[in-house]
Amino acid sequence: MGSRFFARRLGQAILTILFVLVVNFILFRSLPGSPERILLRGTRISAQALENQRDKWGLNDPLLPIDLRIDDQGIRLVDFPASLTDNQLVAYVESLAQLDLGLSFQFRGRAVADVISEKLPPTLLLFGIGEAIAIVIGFGLGALAGWRRGRPSDYVGTSVSLVLYSMPYFWLGMILLIIFAATLRWFPTTGMVTPGADFASPVEHVIDVARHLVLPATTVALGLIGQYSLLMRSAVTEVLAEDYVQTARAKGLKGDRILRDHVLPNAMLPAVTLVAINLGYIVAGAITVEQVFSWPGLGTLTVDALRTRDYPMMSGVFLVLSISVVLANLVADMIYGVLDPRVRT
Amino acid sequence: MTGEVAAQVFTRRARGERWRIRARQLRGILRQFARQRSGVLGVLIIALFTICALVPDLLVGPFESVTRASGEKFDSPSPTHILGTDELGRDVLNLVVHGARISMAIGLMATIITVAIGAVIGIVAGFNGGRLDTILMRITDFFLILPTFVLALVLAPVLRELLGEGSEFFGIRVTLLVIIVVIGITSWASTARIIRSQTLSIRERAYIDRARAIGASSGHIMRRHILPNVLSLIVANTVLVFAGSVLTETTLSFVGLGDQLAPSWGQILAFAQSSGAPGIGAWWYTASPGIAIVLVVLSFTLVGHALDSILNPKLAGRR
Repeated sequence: MGSRFFARRLGQAILTILFVLVVNFILFRSLPGSPERILLRGTRISAQALENQRDKWGLNDPLLPIDLRIDDQGIRLVDFPASLTDNQLVAYVESLAQLDLGLSFQFRGRAVADVISEKLPPTLLLFGIGEAIAIVIGFGLGALAGWRRGRPSDYVGTSVSLVLYSMPYFWLGMILLIIFAATLRWFPTTGMVTPGADFASPVEHVIDVARHLVLPATTVALGLIGQYSLLMRSAVTEVLAEDYVQTARAKGLKGDRILRDHVLPNAMLPAVTLVAINLGYIVAGAITVEQVFSWPGLGTLTVDALRTRDYPMMSGVFLVLSISVVLANLVADMIYGVLDPRVRT
Repeated sequence: MTGEVAAQVFTRRARGERWRIRARQLRGILRQFARQRSGVLGVLIIALFTICALVPDLLVGPFESVTRASGEKFDSPSPTHILGTDELGRDVLNLVVHGARISMAIGLMATIITVAIGAVIGIVAGFNGGRLDTILMRITDFFLILPTFVLALVLAPVLRELLGEGSEFFGIRVTLLVIIVVIGITSWASTARIIRSQTLSIRERAYIDRARAIGASSGHIMRRHILPNVLSLIVANTVLVFAGSVLTETTLSFVGLGDQLAPSWGQILAFAQSSGAPGIGAWWYTASPGIAIVLVVLSFTLVGHALDSILNPKLAGRR
């Protein structure tokens, strides 16, 4: 019973990832202008040489492992499998399995996978810290608001959360930048380290990065706090209506013990899952906050790729972000399944 | 013959009665809504921005393009330029008021697409059940889990390339059209989920069986019996989706997918960012479009919640 739940979740995640691969494949193959034209841009070559190039890059192989014929009789499946090995989709998945995401246009032929793995740590640092702050403060505020539903503190907390929730992340970042970096000059405006700085010790280096980190991490945290506190508030409200809370009250337990022992543990679970589910939305914020502060992470990379029409890079970032979000969801589901056997149906 | 006439009279009367009932319901809803202070505040703010979107020329004069800039660059707020000027000397108030039209029009059209896709998929999946339901819900889950914003980012340039940059469809510039379509394609999933769950419960009601017994087709039942009953859910959801669409549009424009010749609020913020306004402390340039965005998104959220608590009181406990 239990293992079937886990197997099904795993199957769904794998299916989703396969779907991502196919969408990604079709999307970028449907671009006008074939890859060899981009690679050989501007050079005069004969039709025969072009044909040889197409053969070499495997562009003459069928796109999909199915042979579809589209004519006046509609779309017909002619042959399946057309050829399981000699088609572009399978070749694509094979190279992905070897972590080959293709070559970047913008970085003059550097491997996309290399560039992405280089930009990943700054993003993880920024979002790890921002996310941690947001979970502590957001859940705290939300629990308080839910517990004191209808009282002034709920009203204030919910209003603040709603306003934060309505703000574009990057705008919040721009405002913080104007106040604390441009006007008060407490923190540097852009980047992750002071350019050209010569650090006497690793400690100084860490302090410099930390100073650069304050504003972007605060932006991320503030952007998420609104969302998280609204989630927690509704989770607490829901739990408060449960019979066992009524029982606890009837037993004469004190308010804060009911909250700590009966409400929070039960509200925490759905709230944490919702955080995982919302990861997909957070990515949007990630991209723009990095852009505002020129943080050298995946977000800035994505925007640069967009600007320079670096399609292999965009496709690579899309894959990496999608697959990580799917995996995060899978992990959250599994943890939920372990902690709360009721969902394993 | 007389029977037929009688039947016609009866139908007409029944129809009149139905409208009277609807009008009464609507009055009741309005009365309840008027009691929700935050909802009323939201409506007032939305009305203000709608006026900006409809007649920007009357309020602040014609749109200031690069050649029609009326001031010096980066002027701070003064009586002539209440919200200061941008890096080209354009009046920021002028830009923001004109931006209302672009932002809200894109938001509206994207919302219509989103809700239409979501409602159709939700009703069809919920009503038919079985394998169709399973397939549709798998696709829905796919869009729910994925970082749809990244999908939008990837989809937008591809669509632009395919449609041809600079072209127009139905008088809408292709850059704006792509944003509308991309938001629509990527954000319908939660609407579909909500509508489906309501459809599942309506499907079990007796009047659906009765309609089927007198020979109504599935299409007819979905249109005439399911749709009216999920309409209240759709209305409340539409208002909330609008808030999300405006935010998504803002973000997409900010990362460089907007239309520079028809700047939305997000595009104005993108101009501000690329001109370095935050770094030199030009707060008026950054703050003004942002406040407009926050006010509009917040108002739609408040109205959406207010409508939800009136139209779907059974679900209100969830919030």
